[in-house]
Amino acid sequence: MSFTNENAFREVKTVFNDIEFEKISERKYAVNIEKEKAVAFLETLKRKSFSHMSLITCIDRIAEGEFEIVYTLFSWEAGIVLLVKTRIDRRESVIPTVMEIWPTARFYERDIHEFFGVKFEGNPDLRPLILENWKEMPPMRKDFDSEKYSNEHFPSRDYSVDFLSERSEPDE
Amino acid sequence: MSKEVKLFIGPNHPGMHGNSSVHLYVEGDTVVKARLVPGFLHRGFEKLMERRLWFQNLALIPRICVPEPDINEMVYAMVVESLTGIELPERAQWIRMIILELARISSHLMSLGGVGGSTGLYTMNYWTMSDRDRILDIFEKITGARVYHMYIIPGGVRKSLPERIENDILDVLDYIESRMPEYENLLLKNKVIRTRTKGIAKLTEKEALEMGVTGVGLRATGLPYDIRKIDPYARYDKVEFTVPTATEGDAYARFTLKYLELQQSIKIIRQCIELMPKEGPANVRFSDGSALRFKVPAGSMYCHVESSRGEYGYYVVSDGSEKPYRIHVRGASYPQGLYGVEKKLPGTRLEDVALWLNSMDFCPPEIDR
Repeated sequence: MSFTNENAFREVKTVFNDIEFEKISERKYAVNIEKEKAVAFLETLKRKSFSHMSLITCIDRIAEGEFEIVYTLFSWEAGIVLLVKTRIDRRESVIPTVMEIWPTARFYERDIHEFFGVKFEGNPDLRPLILENWKEMPPMRKDFDSEKYSNEHFPSRDYSVDFLSERSEPDE
Repeated sequence: MSKEVKLFIGPNHPGMHGNSSVHLYVEGDTVVKARLVPGFLHRGFEKLMERRLWFQNLALIPRICVPEPDINEMVYAMVVESLTGIELPERAQWIRMIILELARISSHLMSLGGVGGSTGLYTMNYWTMSDRDRILDIFEKITGARVYHMYIIPGGVRKSLPERIENDILDVLDYIESRMPEYENLLLKNKVIRTRTKGIAKLTEKEALEMGVTGVGLRATGLPYDIRKIDPYARYDKVEFTVPTATEGDAYARFTLKYLELQQSIKIIRQCIELMPKEGPANVRFSDGSALRFKVPAGSMYCHVESSRGEYGYYVVSDGSEKPYRIHVRGASYPQGLYGVEKKLPGTRLEDVALWLNSMDFCPPEIDR
């Protein structure tokens, strides 16, 4: 196999010069990129053998007031996982879509939009996918109080079990 | 005059695997538009896990994927180990491989049995499900549970193998091997099944790569991409096995591959039993104090394994506390379940919808989570 990760990374660096690939373990790398450059960067990576997009993850960094979006890429040729991380502001959470590069991204983005409220510019279909009649704040955000929601929406019942209070019949 | 009719496959349908629904717009027998409607199984695991200790989550994670729970435990353990830097004892790695491959056999048997729902060949269903039960018996002897084992934990496995279990495992493998010709006669050499599945639910190499399909769906198009070979975990680089591929990319090719992978899994388990260190600890102490106060250093990590359906991974973020900050699950059937249904079903016949779902190993619990 002619592919070496150093070569591929060097080629990417000629286009994006202030990028640092951080080595996490033997076959895992991470890289931080600004939101504006992310789409062009991901497209370059796709052409440089990172053709498989495993996952798009959103992390609510509430202390910093940001959302972190992580694109997990995988290279079948080299067996390398590359985590491309970008940050967006939590109040104006808008980021361009990558569905032009990986069509399946449409659904990951739809999922993130539903659970975090991040808007993906250019994705035409951000309808709710899983939740039904959801009117609250997106539930995976860290400031969503699930206990309060539960108390408001579901009746509280005292825990009492009939079969314990009544005298039970002896087993046959 | 043609008229479009809306039909529903699922959430309760013999051709549907689990609780999920496909909305179909049909003209005559031809699908015009298809859309997957998930959500019937959403249990909010990702949110639940953020509010529980690293160790409490061990009881939750196997339940994310119902047909093959062990891969969840494996990925979770791999993530925690790489974040904390725990070194595993050698024996634990091999025990894990035995468990994972047994789980792959049981999952493939279940999936091959699923052909009953989609084609009407219910004999296959009864045969594979009863044979799968023998593997569940083995699981019960090793872990104490039949389906959700909670056996692979960070730092190794919960306890070592019971005495003389190797003989039981080898007996079951021999039995399944003796059944293989019968499966072949019933399924792969069956004229009805061949006519019914050849050329159906086709996927080309280009489409599979573009969609991000992994596992059997990708290998049926000719690419030998298996994470066990390409990004080896546990001790998969120490055992010999081949990755079966086919070039047709249709439902029949996928059934054939599942059948061939059964043989490879059997081969791997036999090597594991032979190569495994016979003595030694099966786990290490991962924390100095109580397991409930167990903390994982801050950081984020993605680990993935080859499940019976394809790439299965967890993205985990820790902020250094006793609970995970965020866990995101990459279900193996996400691309073919959501994008694949919308893209590939239009133009096919109504009765082939169930074949797509079955042969591509569609699994609703990992889409809903």
